[in-house]
Amino acid sequence: MIKRLTPIAASLLLLSTVAHAADADALQKQINELQKSLEALQAQVKEQATAKASGEAAAEYATKDELQGLTADLENYKYQVQRDQDTKTAKSTRALVVGGTVQARAGYNSLATNNAVTDNRKTSFDIPTAVLTFTGNAYKDYDEGRNLTYALRFGYSPQSTATQLLDTSNFNLLDANLTYQILPTISPDTGRLAVTFGQQLVPFGLEAAATEDLKPVINNAQFVGRLGFGQRQIGIGLSGDLWPEVDYGYNYRAPVFQYIVGLVNGNGPNKSDNNDHKDFIGRVAFTAPAEYNSWLRQLTIGASVYLGKQNLAIGADRVGQGAKDRYGIDVSYNHHPFGFTYEFVKGTDGTVSGTKAKPVFGELKSQAHTATFFYNFGEQFVKGYRAQGRYDDWWPVSYQPFARYDSFDPNTSKQNDKVNITTAGLNIFFAETTKFQLNYNRRDDQATKVKSNEWLAQFQYGF
Amino acid sequence: MTIHQPQRTWRTLLTTALLLLSTAALADPAKIIRIGAAGTGTGGRPVQGGGSIGSVNIQGLLEEEFKKDGIKVEWSFFKGAGPAVNEALANKLIDFAWVGDLPTLIGKASGLKTKIILANGVLSHTYLLVPADSTATSIDDLKGKKIAVFKGTKMQLAANKILEQRGLSERDFKTINMDVATAQAALATKDIDGAWLTQGGFQLIDRGIAKIIYSTKGQPLSQTSQANLLVTEEFERDNPQLVQRLVKVAVKSAHEISLDANRDKTLQEWSKDGVPFSSWKKEYDGTSLKQRSSPLLDEFFVAFYKDALQSAQKYRMIRGNINFDQWIEPKYVNQAVKELKLENFWVELDAKGNPKAKRGG
Repeated sequence: MIKRLTPIAASLLLLSTVAHAADADALQKQINELQKSLEALQAQVKEQATAKASGEAAAEYATKDELQGLTADLENYKYQVQRDQDTKTAKSTRALVVGGTVQARAGYNSLATNNAVTDNRKTSFDIPTAVLTFTGNAYKDYDEGRNLTYALRFGYSPQSTATQLLDTSNFNLLDANLTYQILPTISPDTGRLAVTFGQQLVPFGLEAAATEDLKPVINNAQFVGRLGFGQRQIGIGLSGDLWPEVDYGYNYRAPVFQYIVGLVNGNGPNKSDNNDHKDFIGRVAFTAPAEYNSWLRQLTIGASVYLGKQNLAIGADRVGQGAKDRYGIDVSYNHHPFGFTYEFVKGTDGTVSGTKAKPVFGELKSQAHTATFFYNFGEQFVKGYRAQGRYDDWWPVSYQPFARYDSFDPNTSKQNDKVNITTAGLNIFFAETTKFQLNYNRRDDQATKVKSNEWLAQFQYGF
Repeated sequence: MTIHQPQRTWRTLLTTALLLLSTAALADPAKIIRIGAAGTGTGGRPVQGGGSIGSVNIQGLLEEEFKKDGIKVEWSFFKGAGPAVNEALANKLIDFAWVGDLPTLIGKASGLKTKIILANGVLSHTYLLVPADSTATSIDDLKGKKIAVFKGTKMQLAANKILEQRGLSERDFKTINMDVATAQAALATKDIDGAWLTQGGFQLIDRGIAKIIYSTKGQPLSQTSQANLLVTEEFERDNPQLVQRLVKVAVKSAHEISLDANRDKTLQEWSKDGVPFSSWKKEYDGTSLKQRSSPLLDEFFVAFYKDALQSAQKYRMIRGNINFDQWIEPKYVNQAVKELKLENFWVELDAKGNPKAKRGG
């Protein structure tokens, strides 16, 4: 402070010595102004001293050492990130999410398996499914969310019982498709419309369209495999929804009307079409327009249709084409903590008999019923609850007992040929992507009059 | 092998039913107090500053209070904020909730059986932030632009009130629903033109990423936001004494944080949620912590919620109605204030937000 005041004092002295040469009033004015400046400086010094004393000012500013420390930290961080990116990071051309689902199973069946390669087997350990998934954005529309996304999914599953002791465990291509969101997706208030092109699941009913990680029961309902829905198809599909019921107070969106139409080869995955007829898929679903906290929440009624043609042959000789039509209705009420689903499916398949010169065409009609009831103890399926801030790897442990009745009649014109499977089971979700499943299947094959019991215990984990 | 046992199907179903019942018997609500909070700290850490309940959680005061009775206190900090709290309440997964005005109103109007028992973090501010190099200087400059707001939270209600005052609505902008963390990131990458945020937005300003072009500071109290502690009717009915003890702990904490001498300590404590001390200071600059920490369910609080319901109905955020007389339950906080001899500590506000004469004074 002394250093700052000294020049001012010197100026005052100088002014006083030359006062005789100036007008007294002007001199007095200058002295007053200088006096004011002096007082302002003193006040400023005092204010700084007070602030420093309170410690507040000191807390506002970082020291040079602190800044250097921060700079060093930033440089270290940048170096580490660059180094890790160069040597330890998987890269892709576009945004990519790698995931997968694996099942490891132990089983017991009261009915022994006997065939060319299997001798009186009742128990087994299996890897029934291993799926590797690659998904991501091929183009991201920041303005309206009309994104172009891709999915590539490879899966292993065991071959038929007769050959499963042979090493046929190659990965097959399951999904390979591109999806473009035709309508904006940036707001939940508006309807959606997307087109998917490539190899994909068939959007028929509930169970056939669910991916492996979402199915509550270990074995698929019989109609999925028997009517050909276990296979992916190659083609194009439009899917969308209208009149979404959006309840922001619960972060809940449920479109009142959902629709899907598509055309596929009808010949299964990884194969070109075996005829020139394209199979048609259509599905509509109505969901009760209800807020989240309504008992009507997630009550959906749907109807699906699959209209196709299949080649008919007598021996190795093709003799024409027959129907491959499927009709289904479904009801689902997924209202945590309980849920119920029901599907009724009818199938019509063209048949041929006779000779190549004189084929006799006919139709085989089949039908299926599948009903599942489940109850959840735990919060696995409450989206908002499980997304919590936690320090550890917390996940709400949940228990899901369920019961399913599944009936398939392969020929409705024939009596006593149904296969009924009643299943009781328990799913235990004990980590974010991992569950343990225990299923008891009671199978009643009316055609062979054989009843059997099956126990399956399975870990399903994802990453 | 053929097994002829036709009763097996029914036995299977019966076993499943017994399994359901035995699992249901596991719950014992009297031995656990489950509290949900609308939000998390930065990076999803289970801490949140602001209000007495934030301090109660950070200091572990409820755990201490109920330890002697063997009652466990379980905190859930929801990334989905108020809407996730409502989801948890609808599924009977929490007993108490610390949540903002709009989600509380939506939940009640849609049938959640709750009671508001404590004001907790009142008169908080909302800010409209834009990227630091944006040419926008006012709300009008952003018309037709992409503005983020976390829908279903108190920020959405505050934003709509501010817009309405200027003859505008959400529809005058490309309004996008984004949670706080996403909106902050989107501002940094300039994917959006603006975002409605609370005190967490100050971090962006300190880092030179964003600037504020509108603040509710200095505006009428009707533009501020309130938060509260609510309890489910079922828990209150079964455990009124536990409710009273919990509220007393919260009121005691509210008193601690209201003291000027504890201001810096309190704000430092809240900064454990990742919002820096400097941001908390800026949020509370020029306002009294005592006023902001008042737990009283006074005339202003009730009038604000009534008005907020009407506004939310007008903005089509809420369809139902609410019986306020049965919903806002001040008896617990009044009793706690009396027991702690704090009747003359906080100043009640009248319906217009003006200070009333002190209790008993």
